[in-house]
Amino acid sequence: MGKTISEKILSRVTGSDVSAGDIIYPEPELVTVHDWYVTNFDKALQELGVDRLYNPDILVISTDHEPVAVSLQAAERQKQVREIVKKYGITHFYDAGRGGHGHVFPIEMGFVKPGMFVEAYDVHVTNFGAVGALAIPVLIEITEVLACGSVWLRAPDTVRVNLTGALSPGTSIRDVAQKLICDLGAARVDYSVVEFGGPALASIDIAGRHTLCNTPIEVGVKSALIEPDQSTLDYLSGRVDGPIELIASDPDAVFREVIDYDLDVMEPQIAVPPTPDCVVGVSQVVGQPVHHAFIGSCAAANLSDLQAAAEILRGHKIHPDVRFIITPGTQEIMAAAEDEGLLRLFAEAGAMITQPGCGPCAGGRIGGVANGETSINTGTRNDYGRLGAPDAEIYLGSAATVMASAVTGMITDPRDFLN
Amino acid sequence: MNWIYKGKCWKFGDNLGIDGDVMPLRFALERELDPEVLKPYLMAGVDPDFPNKVSPGDIIVAGKRFGQGNPHIQGFLGIRGHGLGLVAETIPRGSFRNAINAGLPFLTGCEGVSDDVETGDDLEINFKTGEFVNLSSDLTRQFQPLDPQLLAIIEAGGWHANLEKRIAKLRSGESVMT
Repeated sequence: MGKTISEKILSRVTGSDVSAGDIIYPEPELVTVHDWYVTNFDKALQELGVDRLYNPDILVISTDHEPVAVSLQAAERQKQVREIVKKYGITHFYDAGRGGHGHVFPIEMGFVKPGMFVEAYDVHVTNFGAVGALAIPVLIEITEVLACGSVWLRAPDTVRVNLTGALSPGTSIRDVAQKLICDLGAARVDYSVVEFGGPALASIDIAGRHTLCNTPIEVGVKSALIEPDQSTLDYLSGRVDGPIELIASDPDAVFREVIDYDLDVMEPQIAVPPTPDCVVGVSQVVGQPVHHAFIGSCAAANLSDLQAAAEILRGHKIHPDVRFIITPGTQEIMAAAEDEGLLRLFAEAGAMITQPGCGPCAGGRIGGVANGETSINTGTRNDYGRLGAPDAEIYLGSAATVMASAVTGMITDPRDFLN
Repeated sequence: MNWIYKGKCWKFGDNLGIDGDVMPLRFALERELDPEVLKPYLMAGVDPDFPNKVSPGDIIVAGKRFGQGNPHIQGFLGIRGHGLGLVAETIPRGSFRNAINAGLPFLTGCEGVSDDVETGDDLEINFKTGEFVNLSSDLTRQFQPLDPQLLAIIEAGGWHANLEKRIAKLRSGESVMT
């Protein structure tokens, strides 16, 4: 019987014939943990009497949730993280100002290869599927992976999404990704890997693939990945050492469901409170006043997001009633934005530009909102409290929609700026 | 470990929420993990007197989507605290993992089991083999038991106890693959 990409990856790393539903102990080839969980795993390991990691060489730690310490507590935690990194001999430590967002820079720096098996503390590690890796979040059970090299996994089945058609003008992959999770719903993809392929995939760049792999976790998937192709090879060439092999599901692989999905979603899509899969066309919410807007997070951290925003912003200013924040995903993306003159454009228009990382999306520790305010942003989630204040309304959209709304002070269809 | 539970049936319907129905949410927010602290609140949202009525070996029989909602482990620790077993038609995946990690003997995928029992029936369940007997109505059913590797985690006493066991094996140079 044929195998899906995920079954092939799990078969390879376990050295056995794995099918969906099997209980296995696969050893990841790359593990990531962010700055807000390092002291927790250290404490857990100490309580278990463990003083060395199973494999410190495959662990990447990033200071992305709170890179700029704005409290004594944050500064103390950063200090502890540095001490813990030294104690365990962790070499891939990307402290504040070094890497950027831990779900973005490892792809950029060539840590992630097609067909690789990855585990992480944080849920949005599914981004690594952008280059064809299977990346599974295990939350607090990462302690077991760090101590013993693996943790039990029920091999997931796969929902195959064949992308067709083309984007309509003024829409982006973010609009497609949001509408897709709304259309799929939690029941159809619960515990599955969403595998993207199909004729329209070739038209989607690596940044768009980050976004496609980022959003499905909000409806309870195990992970998401792209069937790697020539674009993957072109992107990784020069970033990854050694040979890169493409991987695809067998023609007779068994899928939970195979879905064709058209990239033409007609109009920009907005996630409305209180969850990311409550998605409506922008026309249903235009005119809603906003006080806060930001572009960033692991769902929209790439240069193309900044470029899309710049295209809207040129010749305009941020609305006087709006605080607008730009968080480039990584140091490399920030530098590239500088090369293109984007940082100047944002600065002159009244934007705040923050250190690369999660930006306000990490609980609003940086640039959050007050109760009674409304934000529109490119973050991952819009639960009440996501940006700090429990009583603030959060809308999610594409970089273009967020930028247009920050200029007018209300939710706005970005196509109004492009005509 | 004794995998055979013989006791009274406590039947519940579909869609019991892990937070609220099975265990008050505040214990998840407080990260309370002590079954002794949790057990007086088991089923507080649907039957506050439940902890006073059950005896070790009794069995909760639930319908579809038992433990739905944000996957918090506290409800399953509360069930284990009373020494109860669990048989459900379905358990969503986050709660499935938590039930294993709580070290709770259970069966899931038991389609139609709600129709086979009433509260108060005498049941005998073998959680290792999946054999289900309703002694009151003389009905026997065979369900799919959990994978042996998952039974091993339950036998060890749940996630933390199993992790301690794996670490000890690692120290003694044994393979940690179970």
